[in-house]
Parts: sequence; structure tokens; C-alpha cells
Amino acid sequence: MGVTPIIAADAVTKRFGTNQVLTRVSLPVSEREVVCVVGPSGSGKTTLLRCIAMLERPSEGQILMQGQVIAAAEGSAAITRAAHAVRPQIGMVFQHFNLWPHMTVLGNLIEAPVRVKGMSRSAAVDIAHALLEKVGLTDKRDAYPARLSGGQQQRVAIARALAMSPKVMLFDEATSALDPELRREVLVVMRQLADEGMTMIIVTHEMGFARHVSSRVVFMDHGETVEESAPAEFFGSPKTERARQFLKQFED
Amino acid sequence: MLQYQFRWDTIGSNLDFLLSGLNMTLFISAVTLVLAMLGGLVIAVLDMSRFRVLRLIGISVGEIIRNTPILVQLLWVYYVLPIVFNIGIDAVTALIIGLAVYQSAFISEVYRSGIQAVPVGHREAAQVLGLTTLQTFRRIVFPQAIRMTLPPLAANFVQLIKYSSLGSVISVTEITRRGMELSASVFRPLEIFTFIAVVYFFICWPLAMGIRMWERRLANR
Repeated sequence: MGVTPIIAADAVTKRFGTNQVLTRVSLPVSEREVVCVVGPSGSGKTTLLRCIAMLERPSEGQILMQGQVIAAAEGSAAITRAAHAVRPQIGMVFQHFNLWPHMTVLGNLIEAPVRVKGMSRSAAVDIAHALLEKVGLTDKRDAYPARLSGGQQQRVAIARALAMSPKVMLFDEATSALDPELRREVLVVMRQLADEGMTMIIVTHEMGFARHVSSRVVFMDHGETVEESAPAEFFGSPKTERARQFLKQFED
Repeated sequence: MLQYQFRWDTIGSNLDFLLSGLNMTLFISAVTLVLAMLGGLVIAVLDMSRFRVLRLIGISVGEIIRNTPILVQLLWVYYVLPIVFNIGIDAVTALIIGLAVYQSAFISEVYRSGIQAVPVGHREAAQVLGLTTLQTFRRIVFPQAIRMTLPPLAANFVQLIKYSSLGSVISVTEITRRGMELSASVFRPLEIFTFIAVVYFFICWPLAMGIRMWERRLANR
């Protein structure tokens, strides 16, 4: 490759008790790449993403950001420090949005910039406004999350992650909890981000999105990466039987 | 019963005496509530501790207190503690200690369920954005937990007011004790204890109703 990946999972194995969820999964991602991780449920996609987000610690292997170890099976002071430093650079969007219900949309957006980055309130508000405009929700600034539709909530959640100016965005089945008619508005925002050159790792069941927007598709099954290729290749002529079986479900 | 001559004027002529007991009842309830809220916090923190030993202590204390009668605990504090620790405890202090410890065990459960009712995802969202554990608790978990905690806390207050009547057994001069004393000298238990029951009712009932309305308002938000 030559260039150091901006973020990478390196031979990550994850066990919960005796249940092995990931087996030596490696996923280096270069800057501006949009990687879609697909596969049947229970294949370990979400766990992989949660390891990269530092919500789970690998049982073996490590997570690297620009060549620097930020998570490993054996913790150390240096890793903790590195993790702390890069944390704001990794944004994550969850399946169930996880907006804080006791804060307004604006409150959700400025919380981390103010508390974590020590930004002034007015500067954070300016950024929040720009981001709300980007996701098309300026009029919802003072609304509480419960008053928004699922699609609107997820767009706010994306804006909240972007408010920290991350270098990498992780999406964990960001549209799976949404009614079909609400998915589009979220996918549009995600596509726009991809077009702007954001580095993204997207766990998804949206095959159309993976085909048209991603620069690479990773197919996982039973905790392993089975196949990894360009979208045209993956959807046009999958190399493995398992991938063919998986893709069959999406044909009508 | 039909021949019974009601003498409600007994209440009127001894009102000051009875109301001094009411003052004591309210004082004990309020002091105990504050102590129990703090005690409940200690037990809740132990319950949710990362360390097994602390967890075990918290859970054991909670279970023991919740599964023995409050009256026995009060008698124990009043009669046994002074012997064990070789100290003098007056009745009011014993009542406050006993009630506070008892209620702590219940309030700790209130805290715990309030905190655990906040979805893990809200905490993870904060963690991913870089908020520290303390910031996450203070800004994300606590404000949500408190909404779910306030109504049951207030319900505990009603409970405390009622349980303070047990102080009469260890001669704390709260309203029930005053009633017993008065009844012993004027032989009018019917009027006296009816009056006292009504007093408790008109303190506790509006509180309980207020709480119910409050809960409904929170639920609608």
C-alpha cells in the first residue's frame, strides 16, 4: 500500500466469554475511502465497528489510527493516552440514534465541542448551525429529539458526530431502525459526506448504497472477512459461494 | 356504641399538646429524608461498584435491611446499639438513625433503577464523542435519572412520615406518642386516635396525589 492507512483494524479477534465473534479481522482504511461492511446478521460487522470506535476492546490484535496503536488486548498508559487524543477524530452514528432526550437538538450538537474541546459556546453554536443547515434541519434547532421523526433524529445524530470535525465516520446500521420512506433522507446525507471526501466505514444492509457510493465492499461471515473487492466486482461477480448466497436474498 | 358520648372538645382543649407532637413528626421525617437520600446514594454506589467486595457489602446491607421489620430495627438501634458501642443514644436520635438506615435501603433501589433506566446507548454516544466518565454521568445520565427518581423519592417521604409513628414505641414524643399519653390521662382513645389518623391522612394524601400528578406530567413530556 505504501501510504499508512488513516485507521486500521489489525488482526482483531474478539471473544465474549467463550463466544468468538471476530477471528483475526484486518481492515485498513485509507483517507477518503468509503468502505461498506456487509454480511448476514451475527457475522461480527457491528462488533468490528465497535472495536474501531473503542467501545469494545479487542481480545487479540489492535486498532491503529495513522499508524499509532489506540486499542489493543493489553492496555498501556501510552495506548490510553493515544486513544484519548484521537477519540474526537472518530465519529460514530448508531442504529438507534442515541440522541440525549433531555437536551434540545442544539444542546446535543454543542455538548461535546464545549465540554471536550473547550470551545466557546458561541463558536460551537455557529458550527452547529452550519451542520444543521447541511442536514436540512435548521428549523429544528430548539426541538427536543422526541418531537423529531426517526430520519430527522438520525440526521441530527450525524450532525452531532460531525460537530467534533472527525477524520473518520463510523456508521452502525444507521438506517436499519428507520421506516423505508425515512431511509432516503439519511442516505442522502451520508452520500453527500462521501462526496465531500469523508473517510467512512459503513456497516449496512443497504445494498444499493453499498453498490453506488462505496469505494470498497467488505463481506463478513461468521466473524471473518470472506471477500473484499470493488463494489462493481462484488455485486457483479462475487468470488465466493457464501457471498453469492448472501446477495441472493436481495434479488427480487 | 349508640350511647357513646363524643367529646371532640378533648381535641380542642389539648390541641397544642397534640400539635407539638406533629412538629416532632415533621421534623423527624424531614431530617430522616435528607439522611436517607445520602445513605441511599452510598448503598447505590456500593451496589454498582466495579469491585466485587464492595458490591457484596452493598447488596448484603440492602437485603438485610429490606428483609427485617422496621420496628425490630428501631428496637435494635435503641436497645442494642448503646450496649454494643457503650454509648448513650436518646430516643429521637435512635429513631432518626433507624428510620434513615431503613429508608436508605429502599432509596438506593430508587437511584439504581433510575440510573439503569438510562439506555446504555446514551452513555456510549457520550463516550464516543470524548466525554469523560464523570462528564457523562453529570451531563447525560444524572439529568435523565433524576426525572425518574423524583416521584419515587417523594413516595418514600410519605412512607417516612407514616413510619415515624413507630417512634412512639421508644417514647419519642411525636404525634402518635402524644396521642397515647393524652389518651392515658383523659381516656378518650376514640376521639384522639381518630383525630391523629385524620392528621396523617391529610398530610400524606395530598403529597401522594401531588406525586401522582407530577408523574403524569413527566410521562407526558
